[in-house]
Amino acid sequence: MQEQRAPNARHWPLIAGLVALSAPLVVMYLYQVIDTVTTTPPGSIIPDGVTLGHWRFLAGPLSEGGPSVWSLAGNTLVFATCTALVVTSVSVTAAYALSRLNMPGRGFFLGGLIVLHAFPTITLIVAVFLILQYMGLYDTLTGVILVKVAFELPFGIWIMKGFYDSVPWEIEMAGVTDGADRFTVWRLLVLPQVQPGLAALLIFSFLSGWSEFILPLVLAPANAPQVLATYLAGIIADDRFADFSLFKAVSIFYALPVLAIYMIFQKKLMNIYGGGTKG
Amino acid sequence: MRQDRIGFLFLTPALIAVVLFYLLPVVMTAVFAFTNMSTSTGIRGGDYMLTEGSLRDLREQGLNEATLSHLADAGYVVDAEGLAALAEAFGAPLAERVEAALGGQSFATGRDLERALRDLRAPEIRMTRDRKRAADLFQRSVLNIRHDTAAALAADLSAAGIPQSEQDPIVEVAYTGWSWTTRNFELLLSLPSTARYAINTLIYVALTLVIFNVGLGLFLAISTFYLPERTAATFRAIWFMPRILPPVLYVLMWKWLMWDNGFLASALAPFGVERINWMMHSEYHAWVAVILINGVVGASFGMIIFASAIKAIPQTMLLASEVDGATRWQQVRFIILPQMRWPILFVTAYQTLSLLASFEYILLSTGGGPGSATEVWAMAAFRTALNNYGGNLQYGMGATFALVLVIIGTALSLLYLRFFNFQALLAKPRIER
Repeated sequence: MQEQRAPNARHWPLIAGLVALSAPLVVMYLYQVIDTVTTTPPGSIIPDGVTLGHWRFLAGPLSEGGPSVWSLAGNTLVFATCTALVVTSVSVTAAYALSRLNMPGRGFFLGGLIVLHAFPTITLIVAVFLILQYMGLYDTLTGVILVKVAFELPFGIWIMKGFYDSVPWEIEMAGVTDGADRFTVWRLLVLPQVQPGLAALLIFSFLSGWSEFILPLVLAPANAPQVLATYLAGIIADDRFADFSLFKAVSIFYALPVLAIYMIFQKKLMNIYGGGTKG
Repeated sequence: MRQDRIGFLFLTPALIAVVLFYLLPVVMTAVFAFTNMSTSTGIRGGDYMLTEGSLRDLREQGLNEATLSHLADAGYVVDAEGLAALAEAFGAPLAERVEAALGGQSFATGRDLERALRDLRAPEIRMTRDRKRAADLFQRSVLNIRHDTAAALAADLSAAGIPQSEQDPIVEVAYTGWSWTTRNFELLLSLPSTARYAINTLIYVALTLVIFNVGLGLFLAISTFYLPERTAATFRAIWFMPRILPPVLYVLMWKWLMWDNGFLASALAPFGVERINWMMHSEYHAWVAVILINGVVGASFGMIIFASAIKAIPQTMLLASEVDGATRWQQVRFIILPQMRWPILFVTAYQTLSLLASFEYILLSTGGGPGSATEVWAMAAFRTALNNYGGNLQYGMGATFALVLVIIGTALSLLYLRFFNFQALLAKPRIER
């Protein structure tokens, strides 16, 4: 039972258990931040000095001829923003049709939506890789964006349909009675009602695009369209840099937008992630 | 505008995306599974080229030695056909001079013929470039030349004096493109690694799902439910983070924790524990790591679903049980858990599919190692077709691996459609027009 008071004696065993379970995670989070601004002698877990050296990648490429993180961040921003905008705009119309419009085949499309929502998209990666090659979109940011959008769509439509479903019919009835056609009713009366859904989907698909790793890795491995996720994975796997503090600094730089958005929209995100598709 | 017209208009972009990136890939996965496409065959059909390698293959196939040596030695021949071409390109006088001096002779390489042509000191071919062009007209070798079609190669074979009756096997060997085959399926059934991947996938899905997605997820949801709001929110935030963090960063934190110069090794060293790589030391270490890493993300999914389901339980039920003197444990056992049946089923159904196909965290953490101890089916498909150290990517074989998952995925998601209350979704639109 949710109680608003401070923890009492009855709570302590439970809290102790949760603390023990959560300790590894908390240690990881803390050191993820601390290690980026400190030096630690090898073989120790206690930092012995403060440094900004791990952030040297901000000033210039880490290796001769390597990419600058700023251009990578630019690519990632383009990728995530385009994904978010396209997913949201396609979902917002498709979901309305599925939720509210009386059209032939509606049941079929709805069934298809549920199947696609559950279907594990990543199994299609081999075929998608070859199809992009045939289309000439392999190794381009455009290609990855298209695929990412398609893979996010079932989820986006699903979420938006939920928001449309909760809009009262009376609003539309009123519009239709006054002589407006359904398009006008949608644009002027219904759309404002689902604005929270629009915002939530925009945020969600932006984060999803920002975090995406496998699709850019497979579909655009060249240097020009590289994003932060594949770059970070690349330097972690690269034997020339064996420096966790450096990786952590780069990854904090990479995750800053994610963390900021999380801080601001925490509650909203927890709701929408309940229907999410990750692991 | 009529509403069904608007409806289709509104759906069109989504439908295009679905056709292009769901239906087409599903069909194409099946198609590719019946081909031997790979990096070396290319994906656009091929051309015809005889190489030293194809001669070796032909010898093994038992092609007669005379034809073989003919194929190998055929170089540059000054014959009537070449002379005619030369006359057309550089004029009849040159052709006559060449015929007089070199007619009927053969040269092993183009350079030999060029040298002979230079010795003629003909003004038309004073430039090296022109001599090379002239020499090329006499080329009768078929080795290392790309032909776009089988007919083009056959024509060249005829020109080189290979009898029609022996051309078929030669043309077949020379083909560099992909072809249709069922060998992928035979391989899939005969390779011992297939069983290994299947068992690995089973272990991975079952343990992650039962221990973490459902087990830990339930524990987190129920325990935070009984805590004061602020304390509960703190723990939920801690466990929600893994889901929100980009996978590359999330796995990096685990690597730092478990790697041989990482936190665990350093923290345990003062207690006399040997420094090892806790992630990759043995198969068991790798499995624990893989399941922990995936499990923590899965637990947060379970936690969110279960927490909102618990919130939906009427407070009066819980209060009444408390008045009746039920302990916390009895409350959980007899009130909360029975209400969790559907959410648990949902999490299980949903996560089975998603785990079955996912390999992102494994790829980033153990990479399927040590050896292929933690290599799951989806990752085998990915590695075979898209990312292996050998460099020859087997698209066809990878598609065969993927096809199995696509079939399972489609079957299960169709099953879920039957399973979860579909009629409720179909609430009829209330405006007719």
